[in-house]
Amino acid sequence: MNISKLNSILNDVEKPTRYTGGELNMRVKDLNMPDGTPRFRFALCFPDVYEIGMSHLGQRIVYNILNEREDTYCERVYAPWFDMEQALRDNDLPIYTLETKTPVGEFDIVGFSLLYEMCYTNILTVLDLAGIPLRAADRSESDPLIIAGGPCVCNPEPIADIMDVLVFGDGEEVMDELMDAYSEWKKSGTSKKELLRRLSRVSGLYVPSFYKAEYDENGNFSSLNGIEPDAPEKVERRIVKNLDAAKYTGKLVVPYMSIVHDRVALEVFRGCTRGCRFCQAGFIYRPIREREVETVIKQADDSLDCTGYDEISVFSLSSGDYSHIHELVPIILERYEKDRVSVSLPSLRIDSFLKDDLEKIQKVRKTGLTFAPEAGTQRLRDVINKGVSEEDLLRSVHDAFVAGWHGVKLYFMIGLPTETDEDVLGIAELARKVSREFYSMPKELRGKGLRCTVSASTLVPKPFTPFQWEPQISVDEVLRRQALLRGALKGIRGVEFSCHFSETSRLEAAFARGDRRLSEVLISAYKNGARLDSWDEHFKKEAWENAFAENGLTVEQFANRKIGLDEPLAWGHMDAVVSMDYLKREHERACAALITHDCRKGCNGCFGARSAQICGKKEGTK
Amino acid sequence: MRLAVRFTKGAPVRFVSHLDVQRLFQRAFRRAKLPLAYSQGFNPHPLVSFATALSVGMISMGEYLDVTLTEYMPPESFIDAVSTVLPKGIEIVEAFDMGESRKSLTSAMRSASYMAEVKFEKSVDADAVKSALNELLSGEIVVMKKTKGGIKPTDIRPMVISVDVCEVEGQRAEIKLKGVLSAEGGLNPDMFLKELYNKLGVQASADITRLEIEMDRTAL
Repeated sequence: MNISKLNSILNDVEKPTRYTGGELNMRVKDLNMPDGTPRFRFALCFPDVYEIGMSHLGQRIVYNILNEREDTYCERVYAPWFDMEQALRDNDLPIYTLETKTPVGEFDIVGFSLLYEMCYTNILTVLDLAGIPLRAADRSESDPLIIAGGPCVCNPEPIADIMDVLVFGDGEEVMDELMDAYSEWKKSGTSKKELLRRLSRVSGLYVPSFYKAEYDENGNFSSLNGIEPDAPEKVERRIVKNLDAAKYTGKLVVPYMSIVHDRVALEVFRGCTRGCRFCQAGFIYRPIREREVETVIKQADDSLDCTGYDEISVFSLSSGDYSHIHELVPIILERYEKDRVSVSLPSLRIDSFLKDDLEKIQKVRKTGLTFAPEAGTQRLRDVINKGVSEEDLLRSVHDAFVAGWHGVKLYFMIGLPTETDEDVLGIAELARKVSREFYSMPKELRGKGLRCTVSASTLVPKPFTPFQWEPQISVDEVLRRQALLRGALKGIRGVEFSCHFSETSRLEAAFARGDRRLSEVLISAYKNGARLDSWDEHFKKEAWENAFAENGLTVEQFANRKIGLDEPLAWGHMDAVVSMDYLKREHERACAALITHDCRKGCNGCFGARSAQICGKKEGTK
Repeated sequence: MRLAVRFTKGAPVRFVSHLDVQRLFQRAFRRAKLPLAYSQGFNPHPLVSFATALSVGMISMGEYLDVTLTEYMPPESFIDAVSTVLPKGIEIVEAFDMGESRKSLTSAMRSASYMAEVKFEKSVDADAVKSALNELLSGEIVVMKKTKGGIKPTDIRPMVISVDVCEVEGQRAEIKLKGVLSAEGGLNPDMFLKELYNKLGVQASADITRLEIEMDRTAL
């Protein structure tokens, strides 16, 4: 790497420390092991800008696990912002890793984290700037192995032609198995095809090129068939059984610039028992696995010691559901009070919310409060299985107001299955009651003025949820329902409306449930200039419209199509462990507005015949 | 107690902004478990202040900050404690007890010296550089400077204390520069050098290192 050329670029780009590395606790390793054998070089890429990628806990865990291996050196790379991409191209410099400034094309393995569909073009930016062919089929024996993991692997088909291997499930165990298999293969001196064969035999790894997709006469996906003798019929999601004993982040890399989540994140559990029917995370991280309080405290101590951070965030899908939350929070608060460490508890559910907790959080720092009723009427909340009642919400906001808060955010979704205008107007009704709750309190008891923000996003039906067969509502319908809601919210004291239906919601829906043909759409969109698509202000609508048209496809055929319960699904070969029968049953119950109780109250049998094996429970038992 | 600290900002951290350097030290002090004193108020922060900022991209052999501690700590112990927890590129070279002084380090700054490694777009002659320099220094050096009231023409000549052309070889030159640096402001070496390039009629860019900030320690 030409460092002086790089320095002159860095003088001119925005936020240069996105690209400099050298942070405290960055892993520094020799390229060779003590015996002289070269280490495997792994470029771990979060395909978005540094401040977002560095905030991602999963990537920090994988970075640590890979670097704990003697035979591997894992380095980081992020997607460049527009100015840096241009500067690299203008100066004929390749994209490089932060640790050793090595061009990404020289690595053995390049691994991407796939957290949201709208980061897909950034993968292409990185591959392209590394001089690596975009399509797996075009890559040679000397190109790095291109792999990806993360929640989007639930439906890997839209990137099937780009990736060599996909990693399905928790990285804690499977990453080691992947590297072991890679190491064995390296010793064998055989072809890349043989590497793929070996990897396809590791549980949780998927090699898309070993399968061929078929489409019916209507242009819909019909089947995916193995074309390699050994290609497994199903790819099972890997699950770390004992999260408490699993490796964590090790020494956290401390960024120079401020990043989105600039604090110590303590993952107290993985999974969620609630079963909200729109929530993919609620299904694909099952079963719930908790860490012990002592383990969490130890991780907090270690992380604070090695970083100097002054903030801790208790991290999970629903922190209030942690069975030891009332034990943990006071311990953390007391333990670090003298060090002035503040604690934040995001993802608290309304019904698990306690006044005492509120007062404790307030003692340290008063951050905003967010509630997510998700739907405006009880009927629709039952459809989505959001077990929250109006009384729960009003009691919680009342408690918050009494405790001195005067800013609350209410999150809703529109476009939920079976939603009527009455449900949309119900959102405004709920907001009105919140406003009334505030202003009916004596002035001396409440804060100055209510700031209640109602925000409404649009449902993106996701694979492995009971709504996976449902269409996203059309753009016109989204706009009509938003206008309806905006009108109904007008004049409610202290309430403001924030909604944005971005084009990206549509694309997200198409890519969430899309098939293999979208790989070419993606490549076309990239060539048409689509970049960093989740940054609304830089979204290039025409690039995407043209990309679909160039490939003879439409967004609507993926985003807005209702799929029959018995039709083949493009992601049907992925086995998220939660059974399809269970999802169908949940779909039926949703249509009938029947709630399904939290599985802590008794097993609902979501893993079907495998329930006993996966979480040691039997349907109907606690 | 209040400790004054002189530290370097090397190549690995040259692109870290001033704001991020401030946070970097706050975190380092926390890692070192120093008895930090905090400000009063709604959002208390450790009492750490910097004498001056350094431009992003510049390297420095000696920047200054002061930190207030709730109990006495020998400066050597302070250096030992903090040195082990600093990222690569930042090094503490000196720490001294500020005693009862309540004055800011900024108020004691007088001047600063810089070494510029200049890279010209084409070969230049040492004599040409020197005569361009002499010509430049013989009168006013008016540049357009951003001030509170907008962009205004300003004469920066009074800010220049001395300039030495140490070496010129082909497209490269080493120029040592000393300029005023005080609470009221100071010489921007990059701006001065641009005027020199203009006078010379050759495009160039420079890698600048701040060698030293001269402090009047009796003024503390």
